[in-house]
Amino acid sequence: MRRLTSIDEFNNLRLQLNSNRTAGIPTIIINAGTCGQASGANDLIRITKRELLSRALTDKINLRITGCHGFCEMEPSLLIEPRGTFYPKVNPKDIPKIIDAVLRDTVVEELLWKELGTGDTIELQQDIPFFKQQVRTIISRSEKVDPIRIYNYIESGGYQGLAKILERGKPKWVVEEVKASGLRGRGGAGFLTGLKWEMLAAKKSGSGKFLICNADEGDPGAYMDRSVLEGNPHSIIEGMIIGAYATGATNGVVYVRHEYPLAIKHLLIALRQARELNLLGEDILGTGFAFDIDVIKGAGAFVCGEETALIRSIEGKMGEPRQRPPFPTDKGVDGKPTVINNVETWANITEIIKLGAKEFAQVGTKGNSGTKIFSLVGKVKNTGLVEVPMGATIGEIVFDIGGGSIGKAKIKAVQTGGPSGGCIPVSMFDLPIDYDSLAKAGSIMGSGGMIVMDDNTCMVDIAKYYMNFLKDESCGKCYTCRKGTQRMYELLEDITEGRGTLEHLDLLEELAHVVADTTMCGLGQTAPNPVLSTLKYFRNEYLEHIIDKRCRAGVCKELVGAPCQSACPIDTQAWRYIAHISRGEYEEAYIAIREENPFPSICARVCDHKCESRCRLGQSGDRPVAIRALKRFVTDNVEPSVYKPRRSSEKQTAKIAVVGAGPGGLTAAHYLSLMGYPVTVFEMDSKPGGMLFSCIPAYRLPKEVLTKEINSLLDENITLKCNSTLGTDFTVNSLFEDGYKAVFVAVGAQKGRQLELEGEDADGVFPSIEFLKVFNQEGKQLAKGKVGVIGGGNSAVDAARTALRQEGVESVTLLYRRTQEEMPAFEEEIEAAIQEGIKLETLVTPIKITTEAGHIAGVEFQRNLLGKMDTSGRRRPIPIEDSNFELPIDTLIIAISEQPDVNSIKQDIEGGLEITAWNTLNVNENTLECSRPGVFAGGDVVTGPNTVIAAIADGKKAAKMIDRYIHGEELRKIEQPKLPSIYIEPIQISEEEQSDIERVDIPRLPIKRRTKSFVEVERAMSDADAEHEAIRCLRCDLEFTKTKSE
Amino acid sequence: MIKLKINGLNVSVEKGTTILEAAQSVGFPIPTLCHMEGLTPYGACRLCVVEIGTGDRTKLVTSCTYPAEEGLVVRTASERVLKARRMIVELLLASCPQSKTIQDIASKLHVTQQRFRQEHEDCILCGLCVRMCKEQMMAGAIGFRGRGQNRSIGTPFDIKSEVCRLCGGCIYVCPACQLRCTFTEPDKAICGGCLNLSPPCVDKDQFHDMMCYMDPCVACEIKED
Repeated sequence: MRRLTSIDEFNNLRLQLNSNRTAGIPTIIINAGTCGQASGANDLIRITKRELLSRALTDKINLRITGCHGFCEMEPSLLIEPRGTFYPKVNPKDIPKIIDAVLRDTVVEELLWKELGTGDTIELQQDIPFFKQQVRTIISRSEKVDPIRIYNYIESGGYQGLAKILERGKPKWVVEEVKASGLRGRGGAGFLTGLKWEMLAAKKSGSGKFLICNADEGDPGAYMDRSVLEGNPHSIIEGMIIGAYATGATNGVVYVRHEYPLAIKHLLIALRQARELNLLGEDILGTGFAFDIDVIKGAGAFVCGEETALIRSIEGKMGEPRQRPPFPTDKGVDGKPTVINNVETWANITEIIKLGAKEFAQVGTKGNSGTKIFSLVGKVKNTGLVEVPMGATIGEIVFDIGGGSIGKAKIKAVQTGGPSGGCIPVSMFDLPIDYDSLAKAGSIMGSGGMIVMDDNTCMVDIAKYYMNFLKDESCGKCYTCRKGTQRMYELLEDITEGRGTLEHLDLLEELAHVVADTTMCGLGQTAPNPVLSTLKYFRNEYLEHIIDKRCRAGVCKELVGAPCQSACPIDTQAWRYIAHISRGEYEEAYIAIREENPFPSICARVCDHKCESRCRLGQSGDRPVAIRALKRFVTDNVEPSVYKPRRSSEKQTAKIAVVGAGPGGLTAAHYLSLMGYPVTVFEMDSKPGGMLFSCIPAYRLPKEVLTKEINSLLDENITLKCNSTLGTDFTVNSLFEDGYKAVFVAVGAQKGRQLELEGEDADGVFPSIEFLKVFNQEGKQLAKGKVGVIGGGNSAVDAARTALRQEGVESVTLLYRRTQEEMPAFEEEIEAAIQEGIKLETLVTPIKITTEAGHIAGVEFQRNLLGKMDTSGRRRPIPIEDSNFELPIDTLIIAISEQPDVNSIKQDIEGGLEITAWNTLNVNENTLECSRPGVFAGGDVVTGPNTVIAAIADGKKAAKMIDRYIHGEELRKIEQPKLPSIYIEPIQISEEEQSDIERVDIPRLPIKRRTKSFVEVERAMSDADAEHEAIRCLRCDLEFTKTKSE
Repeated sequence: MIKLKINGLNVSVEKGTTILEAAQSVGFPIPTLCHMEGLTPYGACRLCVVEIGTGDRTKLVTSCTYPAEEGLVVRTASERVLKARRMIVELLLASCPQSKTIQDIASKLHVTQQRFRQEHEDCILCGLCVRMCKEQMMAGAIGFRGRGQNRSIGTPFDIKSEVCRLCGGCIYVCPACQLRCTFTEPDKAICGGCLNLSPPCVDKDQFHDMMCYMDPCVACEIKED
């Protein structure tokens, strides 16, 4: 390399490089940052080089090895210039194919990016949703340069900014320009960079001034600085030279983590090249301006990212912050004036000089100009580096760019700013991301880590995780930081391990505030943020850990025990009955089920089996144990009389009224009766069972099973009064007047929501609940001809499958406004419906109902597109203009949700009952108590349409609460964690045997036998299958019971 | 001279004076643990925090390290300051309950109970010994090692230092080395009576093996009065 002795020589070199450029020749770009190399980019490089050489294509195709482009999830990836084709997750054996395609200027269709859901392929990088919605000012520059080739950087406009300001010769102008750009420090605190520079420029120091690039990136999950250093080290060097010129600094230091070997390597190469070209050193480009940069490797202490600690570390002392003032601009490295900026800040400097301050400030919001890189990680589909303008919302990053959650889990929060940041709940995802808004929300920008959390993340555990990190990474000088983080960790540990009390919570909060208040440096001052922000937004989770001794995310081991049991709303010991089944002890298995569940046969058929979704086998890559099918096997094969419920010998005198004989009401009545209370159950229909009876079709739940199970619960303590309706025959108030001491309202959600369209009152249009009810109760068949069912929930699928089985029905079509993936109905139900021949028409919204002589003739629909995600993580349907079409329909069933019938409670509202905006009863969710003392409510009347198991759980809880209420006790008490306590010896099989067993498929009635028949579709499995399936269980319970038995 | 306001009082001090020195010069007491005249201020124990600034922009800083600035407004015993100090004392008591010095500070701040898991450590890492060794004894035999919860004081690699003259200066300045007085209460309680040093010993069984700073201890007797 030739030393450049003047600015003109530099400009000539640039022109020469540009003219040498082989324009028009396609280039294969391989991402080989740390992420790329870890996923196999080195193999791609090797094979591509070999291929190009052996086929003598080196003058037809260029190869460029670059740093990371941001989409780390899809590494190793290829980018083809000039087309812009993006190949994600490239397998080395596909390289020849890709090279052929590049030569022919085409693409390899099957290797392109595929859209989730639709499966459409997208060729161009900029069209892929992940890239499309970003503004990639800084990251995209990495695509253009090979980090170890300075000519590459100069070709793409590098060091032009430096040449420009050297030519101009006015350092002051540079400072003014940076000030005018409004650039704020990207390290997290957001101090105005220009202002800092101005302070340094004003300092007179005979012995020199320092500029430092802070590349000590230590936040867990944040790696944008590494990526910039690896991919484009010259941009940092150029930024620092410009900074030195502006401020008169003489020495530069890049303080980089020892853990970033590739970044250090690239940086050292870049520095050497810059020196060789005379862009660094004594006489830069012959202008007499001198500046050089050293690289100092940090040993990886988190606290060394703090500026005063960093300075001490550079000086060779222990990384320990000191009191400011004096600020580093007064006394920095070796007592000399010093300015410290983050990697990303330096990368922005070149951009400001290139574009001009005005142009730069166009991006972002007022007071927060420019873009910011975030590293988006955690429970989100697309992880990687994301660059957005300041002021973009969290929702845009998480849902639009990140693609929302993985699988069916719901996103609940995002953690910004690493260990010093806070958690922001999904309800605040409209928050614009800038320094001030985040600080207001109790978090910080930090260096830009963004960790997405879904409902499988426990917020208390997250706080504990960060405290664990901080208690190790605090420097330990300030007593409150060192001991405070230790003590906060200790308190959180107590809470997550079931030893927490409410005093723990007060103490934790008090301590957190004092730690923030009394520590010296930024680390300690922000250390309590994870605790304080989770306490602020997720206090309920803390209370659940402390009072109910439950971890709803299933994370805190000492509270969860076996995940299947903890996932069950009624604490069924699934592990226990599975263990018994594996040993052939079916009666014991039945007892284990029945102990917690008064409706075992019903749940064996219609439960939504939350246990299976939390099953550890399912979460470790295999399919979960078929727990519900095993329950079905037991309940079909064991006589219920083997279980004798434990009755209290005490007789209670207080009369209790239960309104509604659905699963919730009957459960409450049953448990109250066992406690000795005389209970009267009021039911509006002629038979008990509620929705189980009137809405769940017989092919899912045969009537005789239902009747048998209900009858087994009715005993001498329970009086059943059918055909008496709340609101007409009696009121809650009159029940109290009649001497009842407590009332449990479980009347369900009985009113179908309407479409609010013209013609909805025509003949042949029914709410699904009415349609199912008249059929199940009276056998009336309302469906005729072509049937359309609008909705995507279980009630829609039930109505559709019932209609299909009715006489005179030609066809049934399910119409839903989003796609099948978003349908809330159980997957297996949707599948069964499609198998049976029900047509599924998705992405349609009804617009108009056409009628003929008062009878429905058809429905006009409009097609939808899936738009942006809402905070529930589901993509919103957006109507497509001029896409309307008419569907001839003879019977229309509307199943778009149900609400409680407010009319029945109207008179009691005056008596003190409150109704929510969704027409549900307002209760304290922890105690189920209504606003009127003595009145409790549960099930659908509180939650809106929900599962059977949720109603049963409410019934159980209500019985417990009513008992406490009658005895004048406090309703919410501190519970004991429900951990496995019974040891059942496991069947001994080897690990290989265990891993060979596959999940048994649940036997179902052949399709042709299902037509027009209400015979139950699902069958119980055989003995052999059941034992086989039960052996698959990983026996999470043993961890808790084994030691006890030994 | 620098003029500042401490607890409403106008004070002028020489440049380079710390807030602590300024406050003490006019008689405002500020508790300290890691501070000692003749040693460089360090700011480790955080007990000497004071509130500076006005309006919404107030903050807590350690008075021992913060230099007096022109026009600075300082409060040495505001609600916020006291709350912080009490919590710090609680933390100290939880780790190092036997220290006479800490117990005295606790008494002054009316802290009689700590709410954390009781530990019995013999070091609060205040660094007095390190500074004493280096700055007054000119030895530098001991120093800090590790960070976070693994921070400790000792010699490099625990090898006996060649510069140590066994002068005992480190022990002399240590605020944590005395044994504890537990009164008759359970583990976590602090009797808080040690401030009132006077009359002679009362024989009590439970104090037999205790070596209180004011051996023998009569604090509890005084408290009952």
